[in-house]
Amino acid sequence: MTEGLSRAKEIYQNRDQRARELKNDGKKLIGYLDIYPVLEMLTALDLVPYRILGDMNEPITEADSCLPTVVCPFLRSSMDLGLKGKYDFLEGALFAHTCEVAEKMAHIWRIYLEPSYVHFLDTPHTTHAAAQKHFKELLKDLQKTLEDFTGKKLTAEKLKTAIKAHNQQRALMRELYDLRKSDPPLISGAENLQVNLAMVSLPVEEGNELLTQVIGEVKQRKNNTPKQPARLLVWGSIIDNTALFDMIENAGANVVMDDTSMGYRAYSTDVKLTGDPLDGLAYHYLVDFKSPRTFRETVLSADKRKDYMTDLESRFSYMKEYIEAWNANGVILAGLRYCDTHGYEVPDLTHYLNSINLPNIYLELDYSKATLAQLRTRVQAFIEVIG
Amino acid sequence: MTKVVIIDEDEVVRARVESHTGAEHRRLANKVMEQALGQTGIPFDEIAYIVATGYGRINIPFADRQITELTCHARGLVSLFPSVRTALDIGGQDAKGLKIKDGKLVNFVMNDKCAAGTGRFLEVIADTLGLKLDDLGSISLKSQKKVNISNTCTIFAQQEVVSRISEGVTIEDIVAGIHHAIASRAVGMLKRLKIEPDVAFTGGVAKNIGVVKAIKEEVGYEILVPEDPLISGALGAALMGKEIVLKAMAKGEAIKKAERRLVEASFFEQE
Repeated sequence: MTEGLSRAKEIYQNRDQRARELKNDGKKLIGYLDIYPVLEMLTALDLVPYRILGDMNEPITEADSCLPTVVCPFLRSSMDLGLKGKYDFLEGALFAHTCEVAEKMAHIWRIYLEPSYVHFLDTPHTTHAAAQKHFKELLKDLQKTLEDFTGKKLTAEKLKTAIKAHNQQRALMRELYDLRKSDPPLISGAENLQVNLAMVSLPVEEGNELLTQVIGEVKQRKNNTPKQPARLLVWGSIIDNTALFDMIENAGANVVMDDTSMGYRAYSTDVKLTGDPLDGLAYHYLVDFKSPRTFRETVLSADKRKDYMTDLESRFSYMKEYIEAWNANGVILAGLRYCDTHGYEVPDLTHYLNSINLPNIYLELDYSKATLAQLRTRVQAFIEVIG
Repeated sequence: MTKVVIIDEDEVVRARVESHTGAEHRRLANKVMEQALGQTGIPFDEIAYIVATGYGRINIPFADRQITELTCHARGLVSLFPSVRTALDIGGQDAKGLKIKDGKLVNFVMNDKCAAGTGRFLEVIADTLGLKLDDLGSISLKSQKKVNISNTCTIFAQQEVVSRISEGVTIEDIVAGIHHAIASRAVGMLKRLKIEPDVAFTGGVAKNIGVVKAIKEEVGYEILVPEDPLISGALGAALMGKEIVLKAMAKGEAIKKAERRLVEASFFEQE
């Protein structure tokens, strides 16, 4: 019984197939980048959110005409696919201010691809009360453009129903990740990633059905993954191809947990159902996500101490919780070339991991399979150091 | 370079072979192995365990196990210099820094994909200057006033060398400048591990006395250099092999060996 897992793999390998079917059935698909666009608002208006990703196997040939080479290769690849017409089934696109380059790309996408709907969701970079209030106002703007585009009213009821469906997906995703806590994990990091990539390619209800099926299958498994001395957590910006996890897992480790914007980061907590659903959404998307793109100020301890270690503790203690819960004994910091947002976080995160005596290694990926061979030596040596 | 080291149970080196690696790793691996066996007079089947290391480690058809060169270099250096805490290995295509504690590798750094500051960089420069690689070290020692050469890119450094020649700078000063470019880049990388004495320097580039001198100056004190820096990785691999065998014997377990064959194999062959 591996139908669910096979289906997830099939969608991962051929992401747009189902999307094109949905379009032919009259559905409107809206592309979005990263985890900040508020998907519930799309779902509530019967729009299908479809995550815009790059393709490591496709050489970048068109994007150089509109994005300079200092833009991270993930965004250049995504734009490249757009320019090649590979996202031509999308009715529109919803972007958020995740990083400076993504902001610029939102406008470049609008100019070059002329979708019928584009919205740029300005997203504050702090979690202060004023920022939350402001973000809620910005969500009202988003609501207005979506209502104009669809000609439908976005009622609180519809939004609450959508929040419930997306919360179900978050809960199911956490349940799937929990199946990696055992030794050996019941599902490999690479397989789990395929499921993640399927989820961002399907309407939420359809995704939830598939996810339920996958969890059922994985729970039935016995020793599918080999027991390995190294149980690793992979931290990083975006990993939208299984090549890295395959390489790590073939080098003699299990990827038991991740903290990336393609992984657990978007699923770690539910959206609270508040009287005005926009309050819960604003809080979730701004405060709950532990991403380096948002400045999270140190929570002061009782003695008002505000030193470096208190700051590190306040910013990264969630990682320690993951490490303990998933029993990880090493961390791979998977940076993406030119991703300053994540790159600037690395020195502090390294200090934090060293302070809790957790072996860690920083790898800079350049979004190509060709360079993974050289990185394999580092990963294997890292595993030897742990083991 | 492909190297083979065979040790006996007393860790005495019974054979050592070094040979240039071509495109066909596997064919060469067999050849150097046969040469090494020839030196010892021991038949292939009597070798208790074979560990392959380095970039070609997955292309040794007869190896029982693959271990990275980082772990193997650390092991080899510890056997030569038990006091080593920090080590630098500069080979033909990359540079590595090792941190060693209680005889074991605990941390490491590697250079980026680029070959600047490696043996390959020296080869390119020697070629540009019309010199033999092996002569660079002694030539640089004659330098009176080394020039400053950028240490970021092999191709840019090569262009810089050409323009220094046209400015009339002596060959000795240019070569000394090149050695310092390598040393500052490598030691800069090593600093990420916090340099602690004793510091050892190994790998093919450690055969160059000019680079050894430059590294010493960058580090600020004496450094340890093996008599034969090319083979410390292979020696480490052999020692790791011995440990694996002893561990298995102590536990009374069978030694897990690969299905070995020492036949002409081609890298291009489909298995």
